[in-house]
Amino acid sequence: MNPNDELEVNAYIDGELSTDQQAELLEAMRQDPELARRACELNQMKAQLRLAYAEPPRPGTGAGGMVKASWRALAVSVLLLAVGMLGGWLLHANTIVSTPEPARFVMLDPDGRGQAPAIASDGETRIVFHLTNPDQTVAGELLDEVEDLLAAYEAGHRPLRVEVVSHSDGLDLLRERLSQHKVRIGELAERFDNLTFVACQNSIDRIKIEHGIEVKLVPDAELIDSGVDHVVKRQREGWSYIRV
Amino acid sequence: MTDNKTSLFGHFGRRRKLRNEICAERERLYRIAWSWCHDASMAEDLAQEAVTRALAKVDTLRDESRLQVWLTQILANLYRDQYRRIQPETGLDSDMLASNEDPEHSADRAQLINRTREAIAALKEDQRQVLTLVDVAEFSYADTAAILGVPVGTVMSRLSRSRRRMREILEQQGIGHAAVIPLRRPK
Repeated sequence: MNPNDELEVNAYIDGELSTDQQAELLEAMRQDPELARRACELNQMKAQLRLAYAEPPRPGTGAGGMVKASWRALAVSVLLLAVGMLGGWLLHANTIVSTPEPARFVMLDPDGRGQAPAIASDGETRIVFHLTNPDQTVAGELLDEVEDLLAAYEAGHRPLRVEVVSHSDGLDLLRERLSQHKVRIGELAERFDNLTFVACQNSIDRIKIEHGIEVKLVPDAELIDSGVDHVVKRQREGWSYIRV
Repeated sequence: MTDNKTSLFGHFGRRRKLRNEICAERERLYRIAWSWCHDASMAEDLAQEAVTRALAKVDTLRDESRLQVWLTQILANLYRDQYRRIQPETGLDSDMLASNEDPEHSADRAQLINRTREAIAALKEDQRQVLTLVDVAEFSYADTAAILGVPVGTVMSRLSRSRRRMREILEQQGIGHAAVIPLRRPK
């Protein structure tokens, strides 16, 4: 088969030919059984390929795999909803900061409590993210959002302070041996002075008691006694609170 | 003031909708990535990273109807920049076998799937990518060209070459004459 015919037969089975071109090719196939056979064969190969990749294997396949994946997808979407709304709000805060009725712009956290982002009297925006989710994908999304937010504020020369408090199962993000985002955390902490990573001492103690493991934290983590006390304190001080 | 609010909500709505749509595309991206590398954990990383990057720059997407092309473009760039250089020029190995134990799938079917994957794995990288984008992800030639950053003519010639090569490999495997899938009609 000549190369042009071959290209045309390929285009035919991929649905890339115009009606006229199709009619022409169909006529050619009627006269040339070899061409028709080739088209049929290619079509079959195409179907075979689609079948071969309909269900690719999953990492660590097993019955629990899918359940875990969908749970994670859910967790990520909840996080994104909360963070997305906050992000949208904050990035546009300058356009509405003069509007004195923020009650309508309610920001939801996964527990359904809501509040508008806090802007302190000196104009500084303050947000505390409370990470209790062990899923590092979720934590990664959080870091993306935090970075976006910090970068946007920096670009707009608007003051912002962000704390990421990792507590309970969320502590993994700041554990030297478990964190998948160590390098990233280091880079972010270096780049943004107004970003702090905070680890909960109570959670560390509990891991030691329950599992006998001495937790080592990444270098940029700061320690506080109790994660819960800390976020409550921040909320009292008027910080925006998002639980992840 | 009212206009201001409307546009603000509009902005929220668009971003949220797009973010949800991006997250929903993850499975599809995984499948495409796996068809390129045949490595589950690498495909997982690629899909995740593509989604993450897309979410971070969601505002740069102008035409929402091009979401899938845009996402796959991000995936292809990631694959090219970060992963391809650690792959051998030709041939993949690793976790490609379909399970024979799944009662829903007959042994014949599992064998067909495995042999097809083996044939794809034996293709050259650029041929494999074009073929899977058109056949597995079902992109048009124009979209495939946009995703890979090559002219449409290149897509067509690569596709034609890769299918010719696929056929040779399948014939070498004996599938061409097997009862499972007669690529040639019996005379």
